[in-house]
Amino acid sequence: MSEGKWGIAHIFSSFNNTLITITDLTGAETLAKVSGGMVVKAARDESSPYTAMQMAMQVAEQAKAKGIVGVHVKVRAPGGNRQRSPGPGAQASIRALARAGLRIGRIEDATPIPHDGTKPSGGKRGRRV
Amino acid sequence: MHIKIPSDRIGALIGPDGETKNMLEERCGIALDVDSESGSVTVDPQGDALAAMKAMEFVKAVGRGFSPERALPLLEDEMLMLDLLDLSKLVATKNDMARVKGRIIGKDGKTRELMEELSGSRISVYGKTVAIIGQPEQIRVVRAAIEMLLDGAPHGNVYSFLEKKHREMAIAELEGKPDVL
Repeated sequence: MSEGKWGIAHIFSSFNNTLITITDLTGAETLAKVSGGMVVKAARDESSPYTAMQMAMQVAEQAKAKGIVGVHVKVRAPGGNRQRSPGPGAQASIRALARAGLRIGRIEDATPIPHDGTKPSGGKRGRRV
Repeated sequence: MHIKIPSDRIGALIGPDGETKNMLEERCGIALDVDSESGSVTVDPQGDALAAMKAMEFVKAVGRGFSPERALPLLEDEMLMLDLLDLSKLVATKNDMARVKGRIIGKDGKTRELMEELSGSRISVYGKTVAIIGQPEQIRVVRAAIEMLLDGAPHGNVYSFLEKKHREMAIAELEGKPDVL
């Protein structure tokens, strides 16, 4: 880890979209970012793993151009009172980042977990089945 | 990286004489620490964080009722992923849970088998969750089918929905599209 800079890849993955943001280690300076809509035209494809791969390629190129050699990964699902598990794009993008030549450090789950927060959607009686 | 699995799945994870555990450690180059009292499993990534992630998924799948043999493709095929469907939020009472799970499984497991066959995925109904192993588009189909069953759709309708999707997926594969849905 002596030569070259490391960054953090923040990956937000829901069922509707995937966002990848590469920042420096503090997380305050964004170096590269990409979202599903920047790669594909159709809204339904924004969250697909294939799209996520292309996104990771793009973002890795930009990050490497700025001297990043490896990234730690923070994976995030929508969280809160929505799904806790990342969507289909998360794994695909991590793999593609690795394949694009970035080294992968630690992988962490950064899904926000409520310590009892707001009322889940669906009304008092829940989603009736 | 930590994960907690039910105590009655610990045995399945470790396997006879630690067979499954050793296999997993060797394949992924990780160290697995299983606390059989509390059911907490710690995956120590010794270098390769990606392999550790896969190992985590495998452990989770076994914890959600898959036998190690059935969860093994998770390690072999890169495109496969594990999806969990939590029923506890959708079900009000214990009896309701039994009824809903029964609907998903079907008589002698007929519905579950059909869902697996027509989508090409693997399904495990265990405790309060339904776990699916498959490619993302297969998971999407199974999820839709299960949601139909939860909404009270007749099984026949769900079967014909699955047949339709099965044909669509077969055609998409012939045309060689990278992504179907």
